Amino acid sequence: MSAEGLRREFGGVWAVTDATFTLRRGMITSLIGPNGAGKSTVVGIIGGAITPSAGRVICDGTDITRMPPHQRARIGLVRTYQLSSEFGKLTVLENLLVAAPGQRGEQIRTLIYGKRCWRRQEEGLLDRARFLLDRFAMSHQENEYAGNLSGGQKRLLEIMRALMCRPKLLLLDEPMAGVNPTLAQTIEGYLADLGREGLTMLLVEHELGLVERLSESVIVMAQGKVIATGSMPELRAHPEVLHAYLAG
Amino acid sequence: MSSATSYYASTLLVYLGVDIMACWSLNLQYGVAGIYNFAWVIFQAAGAYTAGVLTLGPASGNGGFQQYILGLRLPYPLPVLAAGVVAGVLALLVGLVTLRRLRTDYQAMVMLVISVIAVLVVENVIRLFNGPAGLSLIPQPLGSLPLTTLGYQWFYVVLTAATCTVIYVFVHRVTSSPLGRALRATRDNEDAAAALGKDVVRLRLFIFVFGGVIAGISGAVLVQFIGAWSPGSWAYVETLVVLTAIIVGGTGNNAGVMFGALLVPVAFNEATRFIPQFGRPGLVDALQWIIIGLLALIFLWFWPQGIIAERRRRFPERPRVVRSGEGT
Repeated sequence: MSAEGLRREFGGVWAVTDATFTLRRGMITSLIGPNGAGKSTVVGIIGGAITPSAGRVICDGTDITRMPPHQRARIGLVRTYQLSSEFGKLTVLENLLVAAPGQRGEQIRTLIYGKRCWRRQEEGLLDRARFLLDRFAMSHQENEYAGNLSGGQKRLLEIMRALMCRPKLLLLDEPMAGVNPTLAQTIEGYLADLGREGLTMLLVEHELGLVERLSESVIVMAQGKVIATGSMPELRAHPEVLHAYLAG
Repeated sequence: MSSATSYYASTLLVYLGVDIMACWSLNLQYGVAGIYNFAWVIFQAAGAYTAGVLTLGPASGNGGFQQYILGLRLPYPLPVLAAGVVAGVLALLVGLVTLRRLRTDYQAMVMLVISVIAVLVVENVIRLFNGPAGLSLIPQPLGSLPLTTLGYQWFYVVLTAATCTVIYVFVHRVTSSPLGRALRATRDNEDAAAALGKDVVRLRLFIFVFGGVIAGISGAVLVQFIGAWSPGSWAYVETLVVLTAIIVGGTGNNAGVMFGALLVPVAFNEATRFIPQFGRPGLVDALQWIIIGLLALIFLWFWPQGIIAERRRRFPERPRVVRSGEGT
């Protein structure tokens, strides 16, 4: 996936003035920068929630700049949010099930055929959802309302939910925000595992230690621009990056 | 049971059936999908009008004292089915205007405005809808059956119950399926649902039309029972009664809203009808509306899940699948 010359204005203020970068398949790339650098806006543009004022988003050779979010998710571009976005009145298991793509039971023919047209597929989805719950040690919360989970558990749920979509590219917008250090470590372990399994991820994160441990490539933004790209050791020696962080 | 009591009971049961259908209809839109449809009553009214004009026969009949379009005399249940279709088409048109671009709170405002405009249009376009007088002398379905007046009343109760049963089958198919789950997800967080691949507009449009169809059918069942249709009876406040029944009974729960239909439009309205008139004329009626509004507010504040809360879905245990390296 690549972003080419992304620009976005909000009421006369340019949140993103020039963002150009490419994400490599099967790799965790981090997007860092001081507050107000435009990171979340870029994630919003890639996810489809924000339309850029200029520039293009290319995914697998297709221009998806104007594609609505639900269609992006269907081609495998799935995001999580900076603020928890669980479906509060659905149980944890339902939160996972609802995320699965291509469900026959979501089609209007359900009205005519009832359970017959979706029961078998649902059983397969249940198996997958429970496998993810086991993997993320959340099985005991299966029937809990998602709205009742702790902040960290909601983060885990969001990651599991995104995995139910079988993503090609996972956009993680500050997945550790508001998570206690112990659970943050656990989430980090899960993300590292997913990275080793070859899932492409774009991680927006403030904690630079975590960024260094997880990602091979880092994109640095400041004042709406991509100012540097490289590995963390390379970026440490980059004067613009140092200036951006030290100057705030 | 005296014949008067039997007549009264059968009438209440028909009203209950109509109100249950009404509550299921609005609950699908509001309780399951989170659409604030303050225009709901116009779909019930459209269904009622359609059933009326497809049952009345030519407008020149009965001395031509009322004006309306079509004027056919179709056999039962065609007018009821047509009522559902017309209300569904109307819901599609309203949905296309309101559900595609507007935020949920603005949708609510637009629906309310549409509801107010609809009554004004109907009251002022005499040639189409006969103005404020509405339609009357609408024949009852299967009226030629050899039944006494009381016998027909109970026959209509059975007919209403059968209609409710058929509608429940479809409502349950939606709410218990992945379709209902996707709708509840869009209700809880539409941005997140879209980010997971749900076409929020399409889902909402579908449930809006489906709810509209049920509203239309409920209107048809009502108008064929009472034999009259008047635009004054379909004002936007009628939507608030159904909404209150849903809030009281249990938003998002089919059984809960049935209970709400029994408590609010039937039991509450009937109980307060027996309050002796006092104060200036119309005061008791006004108090009824005030109490219904207060009821909704009290429940929203202290008991937002209603008397029978939305059901927590549990899934049967299956043998655990053990896989490795398959997180993605």
